[in-house]
Amino acid sequence: MADIRNKISKVYSFEQMSRGNSIIHRVHPMAKIIVTVIYILCVAMHTKYRLLSLSPLLFYPVVVTALAEIPGRKIFAQSLVALPFCLFAGISNIIFDKKILVTIGVVAISGGVISSLAIIARCLLCVSAVLILVATTPFAKLTAQLVRMHVPVLFVRLIEMVYRYLGVLVEEAYTMIMAYRLRSPGAKWPHIKDAGSFLGQLFVRSMNRAERVYQAMVCRGYESGIYANQNEKMKLSDYLFMMIVIVPTVFVTLFI
Amino acid sequence: MLNINNLSVSYPDGNKAVDDISLNLEEGKHLALVGANGAGKTSLLLSVMGILSFEGEIIVDGIRLSKDNIAEVRKRTGFLFQNPDDQLFMPSIYDDIAFGPRNMGIDEETIKYRVDDRLKLLGIEQLKDKTALTLSGGEKRMAALATVLAMKPSLMLLDEPTAFLDPKVRRKLINILKSLPHTMLIATHDLTFAKEVCDESVIIKEGKVFARGKSSELLYDEKLMDEGGIEAIGVER
Repeated sequence: MADIRNKISKVYSFEQMSRGNSIIHRVHPMAKIIVTVIYILCVAMHTKYRLLSLSPLLFYPVVVTALAEIPGRKIFAQSLVALPFCLFAGISNIIFDKKILVTIGVVAISGGVISSLAIIARCLLCVSAVLILVATTPFAKLTAQLVRMHVPVLFVRLIEMVYRYLGVLVEEAYTMIMAYRLRSPGAKWPHIKDAGSFLGQLFVRSMNRAERVYQAMVCRGYESGIYANQNEKMKLSDYLFMMIVIVPTVFVTLFI
Repeated sequence: MLNINNLSVSYPDGNKAVDDISLNLEEGKHLALVGANGAGKTSLLLSVMGILSFEGEIIVDGIRLSKDNIAEVRKRTGFLFQNPDDQLFMPSIYDDIAFGPRNMGIDEETIKYRVDDRLKLLGIEQLKDKTALTLSGGEKRMAALATVLAMKPSLMLLDEPTAFLDPKVRRKLINILKSLPHTMLIATHDLTFAKEVCDESVIIKEGKVFARGKSSELLYDEKLMDEGGIEAIGVER
């Protein structure tokens, strides 16, 4: 459980990174969102055997991470969270697509292996692009821009609440599991016979806590969840940033 | 600064948490609300914030609290919750402190200055980038206080501010509160704290004002306090 708390702290550490003052941090959040969405679309558009043509697209995470002065190793490590899902998606390709596409010396590589590797590469590139966005843009600014993009307010508010209450839920669960362990020597997790009441209590406690948190938010002026000062306009440098990233990315996707 | 006239707050079952209370608090003064558990102290504070629906009249800084001006009243009033965990819900302490000012539409540059200033005032600069999950009880209390001060309220409502604090942090909090120029309404069980921080105290019993007087006299009045359902300072049984 303490491990889960550490993981939540790690998730929230991206919020700390987002308050930097690098050239990338200063780019308008809308420009970063647009660039990220187009980058992800371009990466996703690569057909299944195009593994090598993905390599030029590495420039975005590598260069932007360096310019943003955020730890590239951390971005890469966090993007590996998606690895099991990519492996799960790619494994069927290895099984069913056995056509030999490349032979290196005596080693024959099937189309399934190449397409699986391409899935993993595409997945890691997309996840790292999202992580870079989160690590360089405060969460409040991101959600405000989503509303400007006409994403339904209810949906944006839901994202905000999930993000905020993640820690609250973990904290409640942590307290309950500690109390359970202290009265159940040797037990690491609640026994299956106690799981129902445990989860029920966790739900009720979380609801009560969420209610109090909501009151605290309301007391500090929370109404729509959309900050009033997030309407700054994009500057020439923001458009330049978009051009510098989008043009080569689209070119690589369409012509290489 | 605060005028409460004939305030009543009812629970959903019809029982009254606050029963026809009238109170007034002058600018810059500190008033303690003392009383037994369930006496209605927290309900009174929450109704001033417009969190609980009420009957009667509440006037904050000249504004009569109603649905139309609830946002304006909340801008002028800071609320410190009994449990700091309820008040710290953002990914970092910086964002928690910035939450209120952002909702007020203040620009990021001013917010940054204000957050740094409040952290410095309370001596907790080192907590700026931390998450609340990793803080001690005392640190959480100070951070929660910073979230309130960052909104520059004219009136502060504090619900059991010394709960969960060790003596050293409690002393630090007392010194800070005494140094602040804000008008304060403080619900507390900590009578020595009330005596030090508040000029006056009110005993709340069963939702009503039972007695009001100078803290230095009222809180030592064994008979009156006993009738009010609490133990006077210095009484040992």
